[in-house]
Amino acid sequence: MDIRSTVVSLSEISGTSGSESKAAQLALGMLREYCPDAEIINGNVTGKFGVHREGLPSLLLDAHIDQIGFAVTYITDDGFIKVGNIGGIDRRLLPAQPVVVHGSRDIKGVICSVPPHLTSGGSEVLEMDDVAIDTGLTKEELEKLVSLGDSVTFDVTCRDLIGSRITGGALDDRCGVASILYALELLKGSDLAYNVTVLFSTQEEVGERGAKIGAFEITPDIALAVDVSFAYAIGEEESKCGYLGKGPMIGISPSLSREISDELINTAKSADIPYQIEVMSGLTGTNADRFSVNRCGAKACTVSIPLRNMHTPVEVIDLTDVEQTAKLLAAYIRGDK
Amino acid sequence: MKELLKELCLTDSVSGDENAVRELIISKIKDVCEYRVDNLGSIICFKKGRKTPEKMLMICAHMDEVGFMVTYIRSDGTLSFGNVGGIDPSVVIGRQVCVGKSHISGVVGATAVHNLSKEQREKAPKTDSLYIDIGAADKTEAEKYVSLGDCAYFDSEFTELGERRIKAKAIDDRAGCAMMIELLHEELEYDTYFVFNVQEEIGLRGSTASAFAVAPDYAIVLESTTAADIDGASGTKRVCALGGGPVVSFMDRHTIYDKELYSLAFDIAKEQGFPCQTKTMIAGGNDAGAIHISGKGVRTIAVSLPCRYLHSPSSVIEYADMENSYKLVKALIGRIHEI
Repeated sequence: MDIRSTVVSLSEISGTSGSESKAAQLALGMLREYCPDAEIINGNVTGKFGVHREGLPSLLLDAHIDQIGFAVTYITDDGFIKVGNIGGIDRRLLPAQPVVVHGSRDIKGVICSVPPHLTSGGSEVLEMDDVAIDTGLTKEELEKLVSLGDSVTFDVTCRDLIGSRITGGALDDRCGVASILYALELLKGSDLAYNVTVLFSTQEEVGERGAKIGAFEITPDIALAVDVSFAYAIGEEESKCGYLGKGPMIGISPSLSREISDELINTAKSADIPYQIEVMSGLTGTNADRFSVNRCGAKACTVSIPLRNMHTPVEVIDLTDVEQTAKLLAAYIRGDK
Repeated sequence: MKELLKELCLTDSVSGDENAVRELIISKIKDVCEYRVDNLGSIICFKKGRKTPEKMLMICAHMDEVGFMVTYIRSDGTLSFGNVGGIDPSVVIGRQVCVGKSHISGVVGATAVHNLSKEQREKAPKTDSLYIDIGAADKTEAEKYVSLGDCAYFDSEFTELGERRIKAKAIDDRAGCAMMIELLHEELEYDTYFVFNVQEEIGLRGSTASAFAVAPDYAIVLESTTAADIDGASGTKRVCALGGGPVVSFMDRHTIYDKELYSLAFDIAKEQGFPCQTKTMIAGGNDAGAIHISGKGVRTIAVSLPCRYLHSPSSVIEYADMENSYKLVKALIGRIHEI
């Protein structure tokens, strides 16, 4: 499996929270390489890896498949599409941003940018209610192609930056999906210390909802949420960030299992995998928050890929972090602690 | 003309560094006219017509585009930059860019929205706070790819929106350049100068020199101008509209246009049955500002393409407006000498 091309194809397919089916279908096809019985249940992609043996603890490997975006709320008489946000959107960068409206076919458009003569001083940021999309189509044309509720995503093509870094949209959390797939690749033919089930969950960006129902079915003893976290960049607080290229960020938090955090750290040390510690003082804002209180509870931990410019069309990751994350997951699942 | 426009828009040439687009334009016109490149880099073309008129007409467009220039490489490998031309930082934050002659990819980063205070989320960015990230680990690595003074460009696809509209960067003023290239390939009634100017976006510099050199009697400036016919804008604030035809202004912030030429444009549009509009606000400016007061004075008209989101990576025009602008300019070449 080629990590770069897997990340790129996952990143370039659309799947806002609640409309994940295209991304989920793509991920399902990829997962079936390793889990032939994988399927989509209530939107979530899920599959058992290898032969599950009695007596082994069950381990859930999760990454979310949804992404932030918008939903169509209204079409104006002049043919502008009005939208509401799905997940956390930085409204500062919306003007003149290219988007794709996922109607009965994909329609390219641009978010209206208000020219200087219409703003008072130019220091305000567009309110969500004022966001409008220009598609070049009339109201009548749009009404044949677009229904209220259709999803909208940023129109982004991945680009290679220097070295092993790449930029794109929806790397949060498609790079997590790719790292799990690569971990499975590394685990092919290995003896496993756990009964492993994979979950590519929906609706994380609107409150970890897919993870809640997915984990209920799976009932894991241990759950690893493979997501992204903040990589240091200008404007970020260094004390709250990891660094690009320095390996997976292992979470420590009162809401996570310290036992699993320590095991992951020991695994990384003994396998000589670079890692970083991410300390959070309460909830983690990831699917791990749901896993730990699933059914009778589970030992949960986060393994995060450092990412810059989160929730923007210019997210940046280092592909070596995706690879190292996969190596850590694989070593842990083999039982190398 | 659409394919030509695409090729021109996708060529990166910021003001002061117009080499790439100049070479492209020369390759398109070298066999159909006499041309020379002046000291600033503008291309001055002379096209022989069927007749030599008593008074000389110059048609011009500018070939530079707005963009950025790398001003500093920080210790962390990110690049500080300045704007070349007027650019709203709101259309720069969160975009892909290309940097330098080897066109390496970079992005203009943004602090994760999760980590912004409520106040910060409502405050538009300032250019000084933005930076380009090319993925370099540190300054030493960045220096292998980028030098101070390198230009950076919007990385933006040329896309057709529906069947009538086009989205691209640099439509201002590659649309004007495309029309001039097409005109140079036509048989013209009168001898005419065509000038592809440099450095419009940083203050009408190229046209100041080239207009003095050509010293025409009449000038037609082909441009793009802000259309604000967007959601929420009404009345005079819309300025002009996509689909409303070429924009011929009576006045902007640099020029009060020749009244007879202004009327002639609307007469031609009426006779030929295509739409033509004026701007409903006195705003903006273009090379006409330098040209009409060049030498002993030049009778000047500007024919502009209405363009939404001007100076952004996603400028939008209606193709029919470009076709109608072309018709208007072609007719003006034949009839301007009547005045």
